[in-house]
Order: sequence, then structure tokens, then C-alpha cells
Amino acid sequence: MAHEELELKLKTQIIKYLNLMELEPADIKTDAPLFGPDSPIDLDSIDAIELSVLLEREYDLKITDPKQGKKVMASVEKMIEYIVANDKA
Amino acid sequence: MFIKDLSCISAQETYHNSVFTDGVKDIEDLKIWAQEPDYKDIIPAGMLRRMSKLVRMSVATAGPFMEEHKNLGGVIFGSSNGSVDRSMRFLRQIIQYEEGTLTPTDFVQSTPNCVAGVLALMGNITGYNTTHVNQGLSFESSILDALLLFEEGKVSQLLLGGGDELSEANYNIESQRDLYKEESIATSTLLRSETKGTLPGEGVAMFVVEAEKTKESLAEIIDVDMIHHASKQEVAEKAVQFLNKNGLKPSDIDAVIMGRNGDVRTDNFYDHLQNELFPEQGIIVYKSLTGDYYSVSAVATWLATKVLSGTQLPSECIWKPLNNQPKTILLYNNCEGKQHGFVLMRGVYSSTSSE
Repeated sequence: MAHEELELKLKTQIIKYLNLMELEPADIKTDAPLFGPDSPIDLDSIDAIELSVLLEREYDLKITDPKQGKKVMASVEKMIEYIVANDKA
Repeated sequence: MFIKDLSCISAQETYHNSVFTDGVKDIEDLKIWAQEPDYKDIIPAGMLRRMSKLVRMSVATAGPFMEEHKNLGGVIFGSSNGSVDRSMRFLRQIIQYEEGTLTPTDFVQSTPNCVAGVLALMGNITGYNTTHVNQGLSFESSILDALLLFEEGKVSQLLLGGGDELSEANYNIESQRDLYKEESIATSTLLRSETKGTLPGEGVAMFVVEAEKTKESLAEIIDVDMIHHASKQEVAEKAVQFLNKNGLKPSDIDAVIMGRNGDVRTDNFYDHLQNELFPEQGIIVYKSLTGDYYSVSAVATWLATKVLSGTQLPSECIWKPLNNQPKTILLYNNCEGKQHGFVLMRGVYSSTSSE
């Protein structure tokens, strides 16, 4: 799957899983932080669990190490890298 | 106990009270959905996106109280079903994903006590927190809980509410029990439809209640009582007993707010009570405005408070004309002809006050 195609698909899934109904995929910047004070969408710890459920259900990727989760879910770009690295794109 | 503040979301425009000025909306549908306000100005977007309908209606009604009333010592809420839609989504996920990892949001939003929990967190109300879920007496039980708590003298001010949401999930479940009209009818004709079933509704009513009367008190809830699986005569006897316990007789009541819902199988309880005990009194109805749901007597309490504090009711609420401005009101509601609840209320400056 092309990077752009995966990017759109993942952003659409993030909006659905986190119920970010006021956002369009284009509103989520690919390289911007998803969490923390510098994040434009300011996600929290429950969202982190929702994102890990997303990765497991949609890409068959299970995150068991919280430190790994922090790195993988740092941004949409990092999530794409993780999906591609595990050959799940 | 005394009602100091109140708010309501229902199928009518009750949130901003324009139902009293702009009139009642006639709705023709099998389901009577709540008219929800624009939440964007009321609930932060980050919180709103996770909320079930019941939670967001409850937060919208009770949220402003958190700013205005700083002495809230607890939260008591009545909701039979909680957020059934979220419960069903959660259960479906268990099957679909073979008991694998589940999303937390649907689970935490699905239980009835989620409402009281969210309100406590929002208002930093660290005291008493209870949800009553006993079907058609959920709100009456909440009132009883509040009265007992005030009697113990542990708190002086409480947040009290009742509400349920309507969803495809609970509509389908309750339809199996033959509770609802099979034909689509206008709400204006509901109470005289003379067929079985009612129209399902949804809504939330919230109150700030206090142990002591103040100059800001709007109405008093004197007492509450309930009876289960009783005959029409037993319900009438219970009503007399309840009034006697409070030093009153039926002729002392100025108006009765009845929970008639247009179901020919159970409206005869209201006919009997009216004919036997209250033939001269004004009768007020409300389910033709809101539809029926388990905690709907919270709306009746909201309406009674409005009447007792001088608000003119829309003509659609008048089943039998009022003789005068009511000072003492009895609320009677039955759920499926099995659970019967009574609430006794009076105006704060009533001449029948026992002060």
C-alpha cells in the first residue's frame, strides 16, 4: 500500500476510534505529536489505549511494552513506520 | 427538602424553557427523541466526544449547577437503563473480537452510575454518590435517598436527577415486551389513543436540592412513597395512606400530575385514582410531550416545580382544568401497571405549610 494511501486510511481510523467527529483526516498533521502539550489534538491516556486497540484490530499488531507504545504512538508518521516495519501495511 | 435550581432536557424545548412561551411541538414518530441543545457551548469538545447521549444530556443539565452552587455534598441519580446503546456495542465487540482487547470508552460509558461519576469528577463532589436503577421507581428511590440523607443531617445540599436515553438497542429490547405502539401516531393524540402500548421517550431532569428552605427555594418535596404489584383499589388506598401520613387528605390536594401514557392496559389506574379520590381537582399530564421512559417522573417533578413557582402551563398539559394556582400537588406515576410512585410537593409559600 502506498504511503499516502496508508496515511489517509490510518487517519480515518484514528478519527473513528477516538470519535474525533469535528476533524477531517487532513486536519491531523502526519508528523505532529499526538500526545502532550505540543499536540494540536491533545490526546490522553484513554486515547492511547484506544490507539493500541486500533493497531491490534486493524493491523494485527499488539503492543505489550508501554515504552514501545509511547514511541510507536508519538505521531501518525511513527505509527505508519511501525506498521510498515512489521509488514502490515 | 427544597428545590433550589432545576434543568431539563426532553423532547420539548425545556432546556431553555421556551416550551412555555413558544408552545408544545407535536411529534409523529414511533420514538420520541430528546431535543438536545447545541453542546459545543456547554461541554468541552475533548469531553463531549467520549460521552454517551445520557451522559451528555446529564452533563448539559447539571454542568451549570457546578458553577453556581458551591455547596453540593453529593450526587444521587436515577436511571434504569444507563446507556444501553454503549452496553450493546461493548457486548458486540466481545463477540466480534473473540474476547480480545476491548476499547475502554464504551465500557465506562455504558453503566448507569457513569452519570453520577462524571458529574462528581466535574464538580469535584467527593461526598455521597449513588445511582438507583430500579426501573420505573428509579427517580422516586433517588428522592427517598435524598430525603433520608438530609434527615441524617450529613449534607445540606445535593445534586439530584433522573434520566434515561432512547436508542435502537433498548427500543428493540423493550419492543419484544410489547410496551410500545405499533402504529406511528402524533403525540397530541397519544393519551386518547385507546390502544395498547405507549411512545418511548428520553430525557434528563436535574435538581439542586437543599435540606432547609431559603429565599431561593422554588418548591418543596415533602415526601415520596411507592407500592409494587397492587390492584387499582390498593393503589388508591396507598395514596390516601400516604397523604394521611403527611397530615393531608385527598381534598387538600390542588392538582394531581399523572403519568398517563396512552396505554389502554394501564391508564385505568389513573382513571380510578381520579374518579375515586380526586374528582374535583385539576389533572396535569406530560407524557404526551415527552414520551415514556423509566425515570420520566423526574420530568413530572420538574413540571411540578414550574407550576408551584408560578409558571403557566401549556394547554397540552391540562387533562382537567385547574381550579386555581396549585399550592399542593401530588405526583402519581405507574410503570407498566406494576410499579407505582407517589411524590408530594408544595409551593414554598403555601398556606398549607406546616412550618
